[in-house]
Amino acid sequence: MEKNKTSEDSIKILNRRSFIIIIFGAILSLIVSLRLFSLQVINFKFYKKKSVENKLSIKLTPPLRGDIYDSRKNLLAGSSSLYEFVVFKNLSKKHFQEIRKLDGLIKLNLNLDKISKQLKKYNDYSGFSLSRASWEQIVEFEKNKFLFNSIKIIESKKRYYPYQNFSQIIGYMGQTTQSSELYSQGVYHLEKSYEQHLRGIPGKIFSEVNAKGKIIREISIEKSIKGNDLDLTLDLTLQNYAQSQLPLDKKGSIVVISVSDGSILSMNSNPTFDAQIFEDRVNNKIKDLLKDDQKPLFNRAFSGFYPPGSVFKPISALVGLQRNLIDSQKEVFCKGHSSLGDRNYYCWKKEGHGKVNLKKAIKESCDVYFYELAKKINIDDIAGLSSNLGLNKEYDIGLSNLGKGLIPNKKWKKAFLDENWYQGETLITCIGQGYNQTSPLQLATLYSALLNGGKYPIPKLDKNAPTRFTGKLLNKEHKKIIINSLNAVVQEPRGTAHKLSISNPEFVKIGGKTGTSQVIRIKESEREDDQYKSKEIEERFKDHSVFVGYAPFDKPKYIASVIIENGGSGSAVAAPIAHKILDFAFKNNV
Amino acid sequence: MFKEFKSIFNINWIYVFVLFIIFWIGEINLYSAADGSLNPWASNQLIRFVFFLPLFFLIIMLEPKFIFNFAEFFLILVLIGLITTLIFGYTGMGATRWIRIAGFNLQVSEFTKIALVIFLAKYFHKLNAEKTIGLIKSILPLVVSILFFILVAIQPDLGTAVIILSLGLVVIFYAGIKLIYPLLSLGLILSISPILWTFLEPYQQNRIQIFLNPDLDPLGKGYHIIQSKIAIGSGGLKGNGFLEGSQSSLDFLPEKETDFVFAIFSEQFGFTGSILLISLFFIMFLIPVLKTYKLTQVFNKIILFVLSFKIFFEFLINISMTIGILPVVGVALPFMSYGGSSLLSNLLICALLLNFMSINENKRMFS
Repeated sequence: MEKNKTSEDSIKILNRRSFIIIIFGAILSLIVSLRLFSLQVINFKFYKKKSVENKLSIKLTPPLRGDIYDSRKNLLAGSSSLYEFVVFKNLSKKHFQEIRKLDGLIKLNLNLDKISKQLKKYNDYSGFSLSRASWEQIVEFEKNKFLFNSIKIIESKKRYYPYQNFSQIIGYMGQTTQSSELYSQGVYHLEKSYEQHLRGIPGKIFSEVNAKGKIIREISIEKSIKGNDLDLTLDLTLQNYAQSQLPLDKKGSIVVISVSDGSILSMNSNPTFDAQIFEDRVNNKIKDLLKDDQKPLFNRAFSGFYPPGSVFKPISALVGLQRNLIDSQKEVFCKGHSSLGDRNYYCWKKEGHGKVNLKKAIKESCDVYFYELAKKINIDDIAGLSSNLGLNKEYDIGLSNLGKGLIPNKKWKKAFLDENWYQGETLITCIGQGYNQTSPLQLATLYSALLNGGKYPIPKLDKNAPTRFTGKLLNKEHKKIIINSLNAVVQEPRGTAHKLSISNPEFVKIGGKTGTSQVIRIKESEREDDQYKSKEIEERFKDHSVFVGYAPFDKPKYIASVIIENGGSGSAVAAPIAHKILDFAFKNNV
Repeated sequence: MFKEFKSIFNINWIYVFVLFIIFWIGEINLYSAADGSLNPWASNQLIRFVFFLPLFFLIIMLEPKFIFNFAEFFLILVLIGLITTLIFGYTGMGATRWIRIAGFNLQVSEFTKIALVIFLAKYFHKLNAEKTIGLIKSILPLVVSILFFILVAIQPDLGTAVIILSLGLVVIFYAGIKLIYPLLSLGLILSISPILWTFLEPYQQNRIQIFLNPDLDPLGKGYHIIQSKIAIGSGGLKGNGFLEGSQSSLDFLPEKETDFVFAIFSEQFGFTGSILLISLFFIMFLIPVLKTYKLTQVFNKIILFVLSFKIFFEFLINISMTIGILPVVGVALPFMSYGGSSLLSNLLICALLLNFMSINENKRMFS
């Protein structure tokens, strides 16, 4: 009993301690409850969203890409079926051994290490695409199908380009690195610039998935929407015909545009390539293509810049007329050369043209007439008018690697060469040599501007794009003088391209201007000389042959701009090609 | 050894009622964890429960004196069990926690908790002449608690080991150690915790780091906590409804039938259900505790108070893990987590509590 008495105090302590521990337990419960309140009541929406995101899987189905047509609805780019080897991890635990077996059996040359790494992170239930399957590979696979539980052949779509001659305008597709989407996008030319237009809207399959990504049920399906089609101004027959007219052994380009609305009817370049090899992943051909020093990927029609040569002369003439430095009557005596300071500037005709007025100067391409004019010309006026007539400009028509070229002025020379302008350079510039750099498309546009009287339609490739005009109107008299002179080049005897009328009298009658674009400075007197091409000059130092013409000469509808690199004189090489093409366009009413 | 048979009718039926409600909630929860199926968990758990019931009633009928007398024996039994586990144990998930006895995988560490509390209760009962317990008298309980902590921690099973040590400390505190010592040792532990850190296994360090910032490893170790929080949070105030937990049915919740069983409950029954569950466990804790105030025998008081606290404490630790306020250390939710040893040991504890709640101290019990 004594023991019990002493323990009464200790019992009180126990009860007090029990109270402390209960308080401790209650506080813990309170903390837990507050935390639950925070999770379930305050942040409920956040976790609800996370929970929905967890179970909802959205699978995108690629849309069918829009087709590309020429102006007469001929298909230029469409979609066709494609077969791929696809592995599903959930179908076999030995899926990687099966991939190895497939690689050995069909020689797919797979990068097994890379695939192994990518597969580890890949969803078990979504197919992982291993490689494209050709018909032979599919046949081989079907014969040994029993060996593969996890590998299937799945059909999808690829781009299909029926005509190789459009590759340099339409471009091609590829996988872009920044894109999270698995399907390819346009990476070059129109395929790239019209990506949004052509792409379409991916379909969505909403499904409920479990933690392993296995689809439990499909909730809803949004169908994919095909991309918009694209109609081009190009004409299939003209494009193919023009390509056939380009000499296979020479680099060169032909552009045909419509005078009335700037529609580009054909735009060829040689050498060219076949965009289909990018779609079909013909790797050795792609490699060769990228290595080729002839640059087949490069479309010379708008990415190739050359000195325009004599086709530039109408601009110099117009500046002279505008500044009253010349008129249609004023004559200059050409004795074969002109001098400025202690330097002689030669005409291509060494014996000289004799008395030359403006029309004759253009018709017979007299250089001395323009040298004499150039002595009085301010180079900035040349640059100003050139810009007004479509040169020194980049056209926004959806092509890659477009450039603006160069028409020099004083400011440019100071900024880029840190030198003052010499009048002697004006002389060279006025006959289209020197620093001048223009593309065949720009030259076609220049002649469109001349024929339209200064206010000209901006070139376009998209048939449904509105026609937009730009530029300032020229004096009507000035325009008439220039066009008459250009007509005379072909239509009148002694015109530099008069030969065309004689050799093909049945062809549509055209006007135009020959040009010879200098690669190196050879004797001025040798230019535009038909004898020239027979001279033995190393091929790559030969001049570029240039011609810009229009047809019919009295009511122009078409303009053709032709350049043949290292082709020689404009009248001998480029002009006949242009004539044939203009005739083709006219007769076929493209 | 046993009480008279009629004493079975004198047990606290309210407590039995609360216990059965909690067990049924656990059963319903395991049923929903299996996406509306009794297999594999709910039915197994029920079979075990029925199988354990005879033992449950047997313990209720035991004379408290018998338990008092055999206190040291129980402790030696679990000591042997733990050593056997370490040597011959069955290894699963990187830890050696189980031994096979008569076809059952037994987790001895679960029973260590009970044996340790009984042993310490007897020790302090014998010291009850003293008003407050000094440091010297606390050394033996402390050493014994730490010994068992280490034996379990090296399995490794940090969660159970921490519970064992905590129970030892709670007994020492409850028995009346001078307040200065717990406060001193708390300070000491805090100051040497950086050193203790280096003794932890890398996976344990990892768990604590990821507990502090689950986003360190959202698809690996942090995945458990993140998914569990999503499950609980998305339950909202009222819950998604019975069998409507997508986190659970679509398998986003790992270990959903064991450590994360609360997340399944809370996803379905929301904040309201969670608060009700907490209240039930709190009531279950308080019923034996209220009885302690009517008792004067130290042994009885410690058994009732600390063992009742054990269930509530594990409950709180478990849900704290699932809501991200404690690291995931592997403590089961009493009566709700799937697992035989945990169910058996908690049933044994409830039987002991029912037994001791019906004690009439007018009779002289322990000498």
